[in-house]
Amino acid sequence: MRNFILIIRRFFNLILFAGLEIICFILIAHSHTLQGDDIVSSANTVSGIVYKKQSDLVYYMGLGRMNDSLINENMRLRKLIDQYRTVDTLKDLPVKRLVTNTDTAVHIVKYADYIYRTARVINNSVENVNNYITINRGSKDGIARGMSVISGTGLVGRVEYVTAHFASVLSILSNKQQVSAKLKDGTFKSTVWDYERPDIFMMRDMPPEEKIKKGDSVFTTSFGNTFPPDVLIGTVIKTEINKKNGKQQLYLRPATNFRSLQYVYVLDNIMDVEKKQLEEQPAKK
Amino acid sequence: MNVYLKNLLRFCIIIALQVLILNNITLHWFTEPAGALFVPFIYPLFILVMPFETPVWALLFSGFAAGITVDIFMTTAGIHACATVLMAYLRTNVLNALMPRNLSEYINQQPSIKNMGWMPFLVYSGFLILLHHIVYFMIESWSFSGFGSLLLKIGASFATSMIFIIVYILLFTRQTVSRA
Repeated sequence: MRNFILIIRRFFNLILFAGLEIICFILIAHSHTLQGDDIVSSANTVSGIVYKKQSDLVYYMGLGRMNDSLINENMRLRKLIDQYRTVDTLKDLPVKRLVTNTDTAVHIVKYADYIYRTARVINNSVENVNNYITINRGSKDGIARGMSVISGTGLVGRVEYVTAHFASVLSILSNKQQVSAKLKDGTFKSTVWDYERPDIFMMRDMPPEEKIKKGDSVFTTSFGNTFPPDVLIGTVIKTEINKKNGKQQLYLRPATNFRSLQYVYVLDNIMDVEKKQLEEQPAKK
Repeated sequence: MNVYLKNLLRFCIIIALQVLILNNITLHWFTEPAGALFVPFIYPLFILVMPFETPVWALLFSGFAAGITVDIFMTTAGIHACATVLMAYLRTNVLNALMPRNLSEYINQQPSIKNMGWMPFLVYSGFLILLHHIVYFMIESWSFSGFGSLLLKIGASFATSMIFIIVYILLFTRQTVSRA
């Protein structure tokens, strides 16, 4: 017993070092999957409050840029409305459209089976392998894990950790999540990010006979139940043939500018529960 | 000022500097056609400038605390803590190799350019910061697939962090005022 205590005293520093490193690796291993625990995350209340204060401080510097993005989005929405005017909306729409505009801090627009909630970005990163965005809405505002997040121009990511007043969003600049994507003619493939630059995405292994031009748009699909369909991911900027397997590689420019993200919309799919119930039925039998 | 209070204050200042200012400065080297995108890290400096006679266990705990705090703010879950604890563990050995006398003989002093001289301080901080960056970026990418890009990222980030650390040291070291 005495020798044992002596050994512990002699190698105390080494044991402490090993213990702390093991704790770190357990934390890292927990966070390495999408289903991991949220022991250490920026949706934490303390860091959330600090980021909120900082965001309030630098809020006014970005007002001009924000104005531009809102004007652009308004223009796009006006175009959409004009398109609808030409068709008989009452007859053609499959789901009853309900638009409510409440005067609380959270503006809720109900359209078909999605609820849109606005949120302000209070922290943002583009340089890591997995990039997170912290927003100033949490479970009290109805945000839940797994909801998809879009910006005025395109896809942003998916809510991963939620606390009462904050949430952190895993953006699509991440090697944890691949996005199921489709081209205009219906070719499906997933996009990947090679974590070198925030402004390039790749689509690997496309069939070489596919005719894809520079400037073609790439949209999300509803496969995998993660993202809403037909949200713009990006546009093709370069195509090339991979010499190793003779297949086509696409380089995309994302529609969202992740460096200057200010406001996002969090999408709540109210039909999701029903859809999942239906899909689980055959599995039970 | 009390040495504990002083180090606590320095901890708060350095973490605030890292989290609120430096994390928003995303730098890039050679991003066309491929390159590195990074933020400069200054918080390992907190371990570098703790007093000479600090025992190893105290260094380990403060390294863990600093790392985990930065982790919470950057949503990296333990990667910063892992790199900083390793750095804190090796600090005493590096200092022993560089300093002429036993570390317990330097009472109430801390590693700085004034106490160590330019060359030993640069070797000491450069070695530990490089170690920290290598461990951090290796764990973060968790593969050797983009090895060239990984090396570039380590190199670029290391150079920038060193510049920031030297600037911090020069700014916040008390100068002896000469009264002629």
